[in-house]
Amino acid sequence: MKGLFSWLENRTGIGAITKEALFERVPGGARWRYVWGSTLTFAIMVQFITGVFLWMAYSPSASTAWESVYYIQNELTFGWILRGIHHWTAQIMVVLLVLHLVQVVIDSAYRAPREFNFWFGVIMLFITLATSLTGYLLPWDQKGFWATKVATNLAGVVPLIGDDLQRVVIGGADYGHHTLTRFFALHAGVLPAALIALIGVHIYLFRRHGITEAKPATRVGALYYWYLLAVGSAGLAVAAYLFRNSNPSWVLWVPSLLAAGVIVRIVFLHLRGKDDNSARRPKRDGMFWPDQIFRDAIVCFAVLGAVLFFVFWKGTELTSPADPSQPYNAARPDWYFMSLFLMLKFELFQGEFGLVLGAIIVPGILSSMLFMMPLIGLKKVGHWVNVVLLYVLIGGFVVLTVMAFKKDASDPAYIADVNKAHEQAERVNELIEFNDGIPPEGALSLLYSDPLTQGPRLFATNCASCHAYGYDDGGNALDGTNKKLSDKQSAPNLKGVGSREWISKVLTVEHYGSDEFFGNTNFKEGKMLEFLVDTELEEEDVTGLAAALSSEAKLKSQSDIDNKDLELIANGFEWMGEDELACVDCHKVKGEGGKKGPDLTAYMSRQWLVDFIGNSSHERFYGDDNDRMPNFLDAVSTEGEIKQGKLDQKSVELIVDWLRGEYVDK
Amino acid sequence: MNESLSSEPIEPDDPERRQFLEKTVSIVLGGAMVSVPVGAGIATLLAPLSSDKGGSLKVRLASIEDLPSDGTPKLYQVVAEKKDAWTKYPNKPIGSVFLRRIDESKVVAFNSSCPHAGCSVDIDSDGSAFFCPCHASSFDFDGITQGKSVSPRGLDELEVDPDLLDKGEVWVTFVKFKAGVADKVEV
Repeated sequence: MKGLFSWLENRTGIGAITKEALFERVPGGARWRYVWGSTLTFAIMVQFITGVFLWMAYSPSASTAWESVYYIQNELTFGWILRGIHHWTAQIMVVLLVLHLVQVVIDSAYRAPREFNFWFGVIMLFITLATSLTGYLLPWDQKGFWATKVATNLAGVVPLIGDDLQRVVIGGADYGHHTLTRFFALHAGVLPAALIALIGVHIYLFRRHGITEAKPATRVGALYYWYLLAVGSAGLAVAAYLFRNSNPSWVLWVPSLLAAGVIVRIVFLHLRGKDDNSARRPKRDGMFWPDQIFRDAIVCFAVLGAVLFFVFWKGTELTSPADPSQPYNAARPDWYFMSLFLMLKFELFQGEFGLVLGAIIVPGILSSMLFMMPLIGLKKVGHWVNVVLLYVLIGGFVVLTVMAFKKDASDPAYIADVNKAHEQAERVNELIEFNDGIPPEGALSLLYSDPLTQGPRLFATNCASCHAYGYDDGGNALDGTNKKLSDKQSAPNLKGVGSREWISKVLTVEHYGSDEFFGNTNFKEGKMLEFLVDTELEEEDVTGLAAALSSEAKLKSQSDIDNKDLELIANGFEWMGEDELACVDCHKVKGEGGKKGPDLTAYMSRQWLVDFIGNSSHERFYGDDNDRMPNFLDAVSTEGEIKQGKLDQKSVELIVDWLRGEYVDK
Repeated sequence: MNESLSSEPIEPDDPERRQFLEKTVSIVLGGAMVSVPVGAGIATLLAPLSSDKGGSLKVRLASIEDLPSDGTPKLYQVVAEKKDAWTKYPNKPIGSVFLRRIDESKVVAFNSSCPHAGCSVDIDSDGSAFFCPCHASSFDFDGITQGKSVSPRGLDELEVDPDLLDKGEVWVTFVKFKAGVADKVEV
């Protein structure tokens, strides 16, 4: 064993390197406050490991990216945990970065000769943020797609080179395959490689100069660290207080308890008449291994614990597949960009120059100030300027972030959009499960051929200017997407069309002539209403007729009662032919009868409705009596002219299937 | 940074109990936290091991009149619904089958994939035998290796449904077999 080791050592020097790495002296002893660099190294390592495994399952193209992430999230064994760890570690990494930066600035670890290390650190901060930004797009879901679109549009406002820059970044004039391949290459290749190289330099320089030991000269100096910590945590608590109404209670309690804890500690140190242990210097030096690593390990373990907590408690979101034709207004960047996002809404940043100012100049100045810190901090007063500057920056960041979330939480339109997006994400999962897989064209095609998704949209844009689809509690007609109609409906309510209930209403005078049905059409003066007034149908007649007519629709929702009430249905058909009612004088029933009114053969069946919507002026339906109903499919008029339809066959079928309730449902 | 690297550190001057405790805790926690992301990753990596086999699929390939009565084999493509990870292809070619009519009541079916290395077997130029262009294996029309063939076994015969054959329809149970071994092993 020993022989093998020295053989290896002679050839690689690995033992010496390990010793060198581990047996570094820590002047003044190991400390908890030195752990942040190690936690970051750990977090990056976790990202590399999980990232490589995710890479093995991910497929970057506009028609497979969402699909492969869906597969990772929902079907791959342990895939959701893998993706969850990657996602949540990225979130926590941003917090760790800030803590590391605060630690470095408070301890003035940027002072000569450590300036370069500080600058490399700031560059790494920006690389990490760029990695997050590029990673956000990769699932190619609605949220990532629209949020990243905003970010790349901002690249477009860079003076002079903006347009070209944007084109290069997204790989063309518009989002597509090449946006994903480019972002993926950046996210998994270029940026991590740069990060590894810089971490190497960062750690090399850190070892070269050693830990910056705080050397307090006075008692207050020794407590200085705790005072700054108190200010920081109290600031967080205040921010949390502003946010108290729109969030779980821990958001308020965690920073408040932290601040209280720090204050108690300060009071305790004062009462004891001693300073904290930093005043008991010179203390015996510690060793990196195991004194510091022990602390590092415990905090890294806590970081992992926090990540897993979020993975299991919050899960990892995948919104519905990116759809360039369906803007998602509730798209937001990751939380650490929310402050910038909100800033752009300020009046100061209005207009073309305002956008350049807010998106480029102000962030540019702020980051230059970060870079300048080692130079500003040359003198003691400069150090204080830096500390205050950093606290103001972080304070501004926290306040803006809180404001941004608060604004969203109190915006009903935003909440409605988010809920709709969740519904759609659930719907696409349902469709994939039902289909037992995703079609080669991608998951979006499932949504596009889903009546439940498309029906209300098509109805709202094509039908709702005349027809209603149900009513809200206040009796206002709705447009199919649960929005109120802007105008009064002028044509029948189509909710439940073809059902017994709906047909019963059509056969009742007070409904037929009301706003809900034909009250605002020419048919108010028509023969049918005249007939209904003259005949005074009994309730029993209406029930039988409605059952018979409704059975022609062959609605899925009524198949049970249609099969049960055979006698009632048969009676209904018989009455239609009898002299007393004589429906067949005007209407065709089961293929026989008059031609004055619409053909009731296969009334409200799928094909009947498609044909009717296609061209209700056809002699089979209203003929010349048609009021304002346009032909939605191409039709030939009696003069032989071709009248172009407003919709295609598929769209009409989607509307019909939705109206009839013919779609996949749980 | 990597605590698990050195499991036997030699601390020159301070073999205290505290340090021993610190080392133990560091190594245990270090191992635990590395194993979480690695473990989740390995689990996804090895997921294909627990996925189902390709399975068999019964397909109609021809009616008996389509096949030459002189016993010359004819190649048919097997098209089926296929799932590839997340994608479901409605009609995807998944392989092909040689059908050979022996007489009115007997049809033989061979998977056209060569049992040697999985190349696609053809009929040789003079039309007298099956021939694999990759490594020159040759099989007679009964599927048995002939000449200096490198294939470890003859062509894989597939099951033809006898009842449906009586009605003139050729239905074959399509199965894929492992290449390169002497026994017929389903994959």
